[in-house]
Amino acid sequence: MAAEVSSGTKDPARADKVGADDYLRIVDIRKEFDGFVAVDDTTLSVRQGEIFALLGGSGCGKSTLLRCLGGFEKPTAGKIYLDDQEMNDLPPYERPINMMFQSYALFPHMTVEQNIAFGLKQDGHKRDAIARRVDEMLTIVQMTKFGKRKPHQLSGGQQQRVALARSLAKSPKLLLLDEPMGALDKKLRSQMQLELVNIIEKLGVTCVMVTHDQEEAMTMAHRIALMDSGRIRQVGTPDEIYEQPTSRFAAEFIGSVNMVNGRIEEDMADYVTIRSPKLEHLIHIGHGVSGFEGQEVSFAVRPEKLSIGKTEPTQPHNKAEGIIEDIAYFGSHSVYHVRLANGTKFMANFANMQRWASESLTWNDKVWVSWGENAGVVLTS
Amino acid sequence: MNAPWLKKLLPHPRWSVISVPYVWLLLFFAIPFLIVLKISFSTLAIAMPPYTPVLEYIDSALTLKLNLSNYLALVTDSQYFHAYISSIKIAAISTLLALLIGYPIAYVIAQMPPSSRNIWLMLVILPSWTSFLIRVYAWIGILKNNGLLNNALIGMGIIDEPLKILHTPIAAYIGIVYCYLPFMVLPLYTNLVKHDKRLLEAAYDLGAKPWKAFFKITLPLSKAGIIAGCMLVMIPAVGEFVIPELLGGPDTLMIGRVLWNEFFNNRDWPAASAVAIIMLMLLMIPILIFNRIQQREMEGRLT
Repeated sequence: MAAEVSSGTKDPARADKVGADDYLRIVDIRKEFDGFVAVDDTTLSVRQGEIFALLGGSGCGKSTLLRCLGGFEKPTAGKIYLDDQEMNDLPPYERPINMMFQSYALFPHMTVEQNIAFGLKQDGHKRDAIARRVDEMLTIVQMTKFGKRKPHQLSGGQQQRVALARSLAKSPKLLLLDEPMGALDKKLRSQMQLELVNIIEKLGVTCVMVTHDQEEAMTMAHRIALMDSGRIRQVGTPDEIYEQPTSRFAAEFIGSVNMVNGRIEEDMADYVTIRSPKLEHLIHIGHGVSGFEGQEVSFAVRPEKLSIGKTEPTQPHNKAEGIIEDIAYFGSHSVYHVRLANGTKFMANFANMQRWASESLTWNDKVWVSWGENAGVVLTS
Repeated sequence: MNAPWLKKLLPHPRWSVISVPYVWLLLFFAIPFLIVLKISFSTLAIAMPPYTPVLEYIDSALTLKLNLSNYLALVTDSQYFHAYISSIKIAAISTLLALLIGYPIAYVIAQMPPSSRNIWLMLVILPSWTSFLIRVYAWIGILKNNGLLNNALIGMGIIDEPLKILHTPIAAYIGIVYCYLPFMVLPLYTNLVKHDKRLLEAAYDLGAKPWKAFFKITLPLSKAGIIAGCMLVMIPAVGEFVIPELLGGPDTLMIGRVLWNEFFNNRDWPAASAVAIIMLMLLMIPILIFNRIQQREMEGRLT
């Protein structure tokens, strides 16, 4: 299933507004549990006002890294600086960092108002100042009517709003979100993603979130760090991560991809050709690649970048013939699974722009898949 | 057996299950209670049994004679009043001590890795496996003037003369707290072990120091466990007879001893019954309050 790259939620002017490039600096952080390395010498910088996502599968170390930021885990080695202040030796209750916990961890014996006021009370603010701030937060998350309720009297989405208000009430320098949508159903999830981003951006708070859901990371974050077995594999904006993966892992983790292995046959300044044993025709890349002739590489191309049709394309390369083995209908588009004569499989998306396709393709049809010379990426690692 | 009229006549099978506790309560609680209540309204008599009947049928006249003097005596004779107050005081202080000792024990066990929790719980319960009376007698051996404690303290040169602990209220407190501690620890543990650790992390995250997080989060959330533990200690402690009798001194006046005296020394069954009934009433009040609180919490959770 292809991930939808949506950056519409994020304010495009935002990129200019962000402040210091290294507001949060994570330098060579390492965390071991009984010899198991959860986070392996990780270095990261997060800009002021940025929403930054740590994305990865379970056990990739993203949550451990987040807990190191919150102060709940002590890194084995390395330093964390926030706004040029070292965080390592500060306990959680002295860090200017607040966290929205997975499944929220709202205090069950306190009302919504008391939950939000809890952090403010610890700072010894005056009672009326606290009340004013609580009202303000309730307005921001649109929960003014529910201030006197207890958490168990709220729906999942409402609990999330309260959790967000509680973690933002102290105006933290850094907001941590641990799987923010984990406890919501799918429909509510996409709505809350947009709302959460709007609130966080309105307040201008720097935010690091952890998620295993690539769509969530792409929808919410300005930049994403893709993590795997304790290491960061790639850092970039959602479209960079999606369109320019730098490794096979990155290409396969985000969205779906067609990948074939081959060797560089011609390595020119302005084009490269790749010979793959799986393909009858050459792969032609319309730009230079840092590699050498004869090097083993992988060629990755997203399904939506493939064209599919019954007639043979005129171009001499970047094409393959096969039969349609399977069709997955998604409403907005269909995914055709094409099997080549040698068994290699390609996925091609076909947008369902008309309610009745002009050229209807069906099972066992002989078809050609083809792609442009800038459609795919060459991966060397 | 399958005839429909018979099915209608016979109670539903589920009643055979539900009725067991009801029959039990009727036989071993309600009927004895009514008998004691009846005796408490009778008059002392030198007879067998040693009281006059409340309900009499003589010469086709049914007479119900309720003698209130037993209850009036409880009000007028300050000895009873003092015994009640003293019992409640001793039980309340013991309960508080048991809470102060039991809470940290339950808390520490709940924090332990799950594998070792059961071992420590066993160690808390284990003493209850020996006879209650033997354990109380053992305390005599520890607390008496030339007992273990005094010998040890003198041996270490901390004191010159033995401390007089046995046959003082202190010994009674030690005995009650010791015997009832498991009943405090168990409900507290059951409550504390269910606490979500992330709530404390959230409190730290919001700026609460560990001790403050304990008082703001852990303590209020363990309220149900505290109430249950206190009930389990307080209620039997009020009526306790053996421990104050064996360990306490002549000034350790408790209602259990008054009951004993009325029954066995004065053979005044009606007065003893009245004392028992009033004691039951005194104990019912906290139980009812406890039930009310629990019910309210349950309702709050449902809406």
